[in-house]
Amino acid sequence: MGAIERVGVLGAGVMGAGIAAHVANAGLPVVLLDIVPEGVADRNALAAGAIEKLKKAKPAPLMSASFARRITPGNLEDHLGLLADCDWIVEAVVERVDVKQKVYRAVEGVRKPGSIVSTNTSTIPLGKLVEGLPASFAADFLVTHFFNPPRYMRLLELVAGPATRPAAVETVRAFCDRRLGKSVVECKDTPGFIANRIGTFWIEAATREAIALGLTVEEADAVAGRPLGFPKTGVFGLMDLVGIDLGPHIAASLLATLPEGDAYREIHEDRELVRRMIAAGLTGRKGKGGFYRLDSTGGKKTKLAIDLASGEYRPQREARLESVAAAKRGGPRALLEHPDQGGRFAWGMLSRTLAYAASLVPAIADEIAAVDEAMRAGYSWEQGPFELLDRIGPAWFAGRLAAEGRPVPALLEAVGEGTFYRVEEGRRLQLAVGGGYRDVPLPDGVLRLAELRLAQQPVARNASASLWDLGDGVLGLEFHTKMNALDEGVLRQLTKALGSVDGERFRALVIYNEATNFSVGANIGIALFAANVGLWPEIEATIAAGQETFRAMKYAPFPVVGAPSGMALGGGCEILLHCDAVQAHAETYMGLVEAGVGVVPGWGGCKELLTRWQTNPKRPGGPMPGVAQAFETISTAKVSTSAEEAKELLFLRPGDGVTMNRDRLLADAKARALELVAAGYRPPEPVELALPGPSGRAALDMAVAGFRASGAATPHDVVVAGALARVLTGGDTDPTESVREEELSRLEREAFLALVRTPATLARIEHMLETGKPLRN
Amino acid sequence: MKNVVIAGYVRSPFTPAKKGELVKVRPDDLAAQTVRALAERTGVATEDLEDLMLGCAFPEGEQGFNLARLIVFLAGLPVSLPGVTINRFCGSSMQAIHMAAGAIQLGAGEVFVCAGVESMTRVPMGGFNPLPNPALYQSYPQAFAAMGETAENLAKKYGISRRRQEEFAVESQRKTAAALAAGRLDEEVVPIVWKGGTVARDGCPRPDTTLEGLANLKLAFDEQGTVTAGTSSPVTDGAAATLVCSEEYAERKGLEPLARIKSVAVSACQPEIMGIGPVVSTRKALERAGLTLDQIDVVELNEAFAAQALACIDELGLDPARINLDGGAIALGHPLGATGARITGKAAQLLHREGKRYALATQCIGGGQGIATILEAI
Repeated sequence: MGAIERVGVLGAGVMGAGIAAHVANAGLPVVLLDIVPEGVADRNALAAGAIEKLKKAKPAPLMSASFARRITPGNLEDHLGLLADCDWIVEAVVERVDVKQKVYRAVEGVRKPGSIVSTNTSTIPLGKLVEGLPASFAADFLVTHFFNPPRYMRLLELVAGPATRPAAVETVRAFCDRRLGKSVVECKDTPGFIANRIGTFWIEAATREAIALGLTVEEADAVAGRPLGFPKTGVFGLMDLVGIDLGPHIAASLLATLPEGDAYREIHEDRELVRRMIAAGLTGRKGKGGFYRLDSTGGKKTKLAIDLASGEYRPQREARLESVAAAKRGGPRALLEHPDQGGRFAWGMLSRTLAYAASLVPAIADEIAAVDEAMRAGYSWEQGPFELLDRIGPAWFAGRLAAEGRPVPALLEAVGEGTFYRVEEGRRLQLAVGGGYRDVPLPDGVLRLAELRLAQQPVARNASASLWDLGDGVLGLEFHTKMNALDEGVLRQLTKALGSVDGERFRALVIYNEATNFSVGANIGIALFAANVGLWPEIEATIAAGQETFRAMKYAPFPVVGAPSGMALGGGCEILLHCDAVQAHAETYMGLVEAGVGVVPGWGGCKELLTRWQTNPKRPGGPMPGVAQAFETISTAKVSTSAEEAKELLFLRPGDGVTMNRDRLLADAKARALELVAAGYRPPEPVELALPGPSGRAALDMAVAGFRASGAATPHDVVVAGALARVLTGGDTDPTESVREEELSRLEREAFLALVRTPATLARIEHMLETGKPLRN
Repeated sequence: MKNVVIAGYVRSPFTPAKKGELVKVRPDDLAAQTVRALAERTGVATEDLEDLMLGCAFPEGEQGFNLARLIVFLAGLPVSLPGVTINRFCGSSMQAIHMAAGAIQLGAGEVFVCAGVESMTRVPMGGFNPLPNPALYQSYPQAFAAMGETAENLAKKYGISRRRQEEFAVESQRKTAAALAAGRLDEEVVPIVWKGGTVARDGCPRPDTTLEGLANLKLAFDEQGTVTAGTSSPVTDGAAATLVCSEEYAERKGLEPLARIKSVAVSACQPEIMGIGPVVSTRKALERAGLTLDQIDVVELNEAFAAQALACIDELGLDPARINLDGGAIALGHPLGATGARITGKAAQLLHREGKRYALATQCIGGGQGIATILEAI
C-alpha cells in the first residue's frame, strides 16, 4: 500500500476528536465515527458534537476553523462503509479490550485490503488486543499513542506487534513524522510504553517526597519545574493541567500490567487527599480547582493552594528556597547537593526517577536516545533522563545512590566515569546497551543546527547572529540574541550574509533560528534608552538601516527564504515579509504587533503588508478594502495562531510552504531555496500602489473615533491608529497618482519617529519591558 | 389635482445581516422577487407601469449599476418599463413613493412600482470604499456622524434613560411577537426562493426579550452612554414594494387601494441628532394636510433606535398606543433602502385593517433629515 490519503478515526472523545482535527490540519479528509447515543434524534450526535467543540476549544485543535469541513461525522452503525476508502483507521474508543475488539471485528468486515488499523491505547498491551482476531488483521495492526492535545504534543509512541507488517509500520511512521509533524518513537509492547511509564513514576515520586518532607505545593513546584528543565507548572501544576482524575486510572492500569517487583509498585500509594479531591470535583483546571485554585468569591481574585497535610485551601505563598537560587547559578547538581528542603526533595524525586529510567533500558526501548526523546516530546522535559544525568554527573549520581545503600542500575554502572552522550568527530554518540557508543540516529532528511554545530564552525559570527554553511551552496543566517530579538548586530550579520552569497560558494540564503521562537521583534529596550536620552537622529538612523537592509535583501539577485517557527512578531515578522519565499513551521505565530508598544511597523512591515493586500487579486475592488484590511491587522496587532492563519492574514503568501515537523523545517527551507535557484531566480520588480490619500485616512479616522467612543480603543490607540492610517493611505497622495516603495518607507519612518516622541508611547514601551504585557493607555 | 393611492404592499422576510437566511441572496434578486410578487398579488397590468422607482442607501457592488432597471429584467417585467434608483439613505423608498405621487399629479404617469432594498450583508453600511471629503470631515465632522452616536446624543439631549429605551424595545418585541403569532404579518410577506431553499419567515424578532436580559447588554457605541444592540434596530437584509397609482386608475382597473396619500414632506436638522428628523417633517406634512396630530389614528414611526423614537414621541407628543401596532424596526429589522416602502405600505394596510381615518408614516435619515407621509382612508 502506498501513501495515506484518507483517514478514519473511531471514537469522538477528546483524543479521537483531537487526532481527527490534526489529520485535518495536515490537509486530509477524515471520517470521525462514534456510537449512536440513546434518546437523541441525530444518530451522529457524538461525532457532530465533537466537531462543533473542536471549532471552539482553546488551545485550538484546528489550525483554521475552516478545516472542520474536512472531518465527516458519522456513527459506527450506519457509516462503517465510509471506512472502506480509508488508508489508515485509528481507534480511540474506551480502554476496554472487549469493546475495542468488537470495533476491530466490525472494521475488519469493511476495510480495504492493505489498509492499516492502529489503536491509541495507552494502557492495553498490543498482544492482548489482537488475541483471537484474524492474522490478516494482526498484520495490519499497531499502536499509535498520541499525547494530549494531539496538535501540540510532539510525541507519538509507535508499537508494532510481532505480526505487524514492516511496511505498515513504515507507512504510519513516515506519515506521522512528515504529515502530522510528530516525533515518532518506537517503543516495545510494555505497560505505559516509555513516556507514561517514566512520567507517572516521576509524578508519584515527586508527590511522595513532597508529602514526606513536608513541602508546600509551591515549594515542590518551584523545584520540580524550571530548575530541572521540567515544565514550569511543576508536578502539582501539571496534574492540575492534565486532570487529577486521570491519575488513578493510569495507576490502576499500570498496576494491573507492570511486572512483579517493578519499582512503581513500591512507591505507589492511593492517597486519601486525591480521592477526596476527585470526589469533590477538584480535578484541576477543568474542574472546580486542583492543587491550585483561583478563588473569586466576593469579586476579588485570590490564588489559593492546597495544604497537602490538611487538604484545606489557603492563600498561595511564594516559595523561597535557597536551593532553587543555587540551581540558577550552579545547575541541577547544585540543587541536588543543597542541604535545604528543596535540595533533599530534588534528590528524593530525581534519584528515584532517573534510577528507574536507567533500570528500564533495554526493557522499554533499545536506545537511551529514544527514552530521552519520549520525555522531551511527551512530557516537555527540556532534557530526557539520560541527558539530565549527564548534566548532574552520572558517576556522582551513582556514587550517592551506592553511598545510601541503594541499588545502582546496570546502565549507570556501565557509564562509569563517562557520560551517556559524547561528541566524536562532529557526531553525537550515545552509550549503547551492550557497551560502547553508537550514533544517535536522526530520521532521514532531517537537518538541524544542533547537529551542524557539532561538526563545523560558523562561516561568521558576532554576538547577535551567525552564518552557517548549510551545504549545497545555501548559506544560513541564525539569530542568537535574547528571545532572538533583532538588533544592530543581526542587521550587520544579515548585510554580511547578503555580501557572502556571491553565486559561487553560496547561491541562496535561508534565515532560520533553532529556538522556541523565530524572533519576538526588535530590541525595544534600546529604542527606549535612545528615546529617553533624546537620541532622535540615532533612532531615525536605526529605522532607516533596517529598512535599507531589508530592501537590499528583497532585491538581492539570489533567493532568500525565511523559515520561522513559533513567534515571529514585529521586526521578526517584517524580515519575513521581505523574504522571497517563506517555509513556515505549521506552528508559526506571526504578527505586526508594534501598535502594542505605541509605534507603527517601521522596517517595511506597513509597506509590505499593504502591498500584499493591494495586489491581492481576491480583495474587493476600489481603493479602500485592501488598505482597510492592512489597517485592521496592524492596528489591532493581530497575531496568527498557525501558519495557515498567517496565510489568511497575508503574512504568508499562498505559495509559501508549511512544514508540519519542526525538525524538518530547515531541510524544507533549504530545498525551497534550491528550487528557486534551479528555476532561474529573478528578484521581484518594485511595485507602485494607487492609494486613497487623505479621503481614505478620514474614513479610517472616523472608524477609530467610533471605537474610541464605544471604549474599544484607548486615547493613545487613536493616536497610533491615526499615524498608521496616514502611512497606509499613502500620506498626501491622490488616487490618481501612484506611490513608490521609497515614499511608503519615508512615511513609516516619519510616523515611527513622531510616535516614539510621545510620552504615551514611551510609557507603553517601558511597561512592555517591565511586565511583558501591553499597556492600554 | 389627481388623488394618489397606495394600491398594494408586500415585503420579503427581514432577516439579520451576516447570519440570517437571506445572506446568500443577492439584493437584486431579493428585490426582483418582491416586485414580481407585488405585480402578481395586485394584478396590475404591468404594461401600464410608468416607472420602477427603487430606494437603496448604498447603491454599489451588487446594489450597483442602475439597480432599478436591472430589477425590471430580473422580475420579468416589460422591457418598456424604465427604472430609477433613488438614494435618501433610510428614507429612500419613501422618497420613491413621494416622487411617484408627484409624477402622477403632474400627469407624468398613472401607475408606479415604488420599492426599496438593502442587503446589509452583501453591501456593508458605509459601502466598500468610504472616501469622505477630508476637509469637510475636519471642519464639520458631524456631517459623517455615526448613527449610534446620534442616538446617544438624543438620549442625552432629551434625558431618555437606558431603562426607558429598554422598556420601549421590549414593547416593540412584544407587539411584533403578537402580530407574528396572530398571523397578522402573513399577508405582507413574500417567500423568497433561492437555490438553498425558500425563506418565508422574519428572522430578526427576539420574542423572549426581557428587561433583565436587555439590562445586561454591553453598551454598543459609547462607553459612557445608554444605547445597546438591544435598543437599536438590527442590521438587516430585506426588500419592500408598494404599488402607487392615481385613484382613478385604481378604480378603472379594479385595483384595491389601501389608502390615499394626503400629504408628504421632507425636512433637515443637525446631522448629529438626525434621529429627531421626523419631528419637523411630520409637522410640515400635517400642516399641508390641514390636520392636527390628534387626528392621526395610526402612526408608523421607524425605530432606528429606541432613544431616537422616544425623542420624537416626546417632542411631538405622540400617543404610544397608536404607534407601530404590529411592532417596529427594533424587533423587525431595518434594511435601510427598504424601510420607507415598508412603513408607508404598512401604515396604509393598518388604516385599511383598523378602519381608521388618518395615518402617518415617518422616519429619520442619516445626515440629519426627516421624511413623512400622511395617508387617508378611502
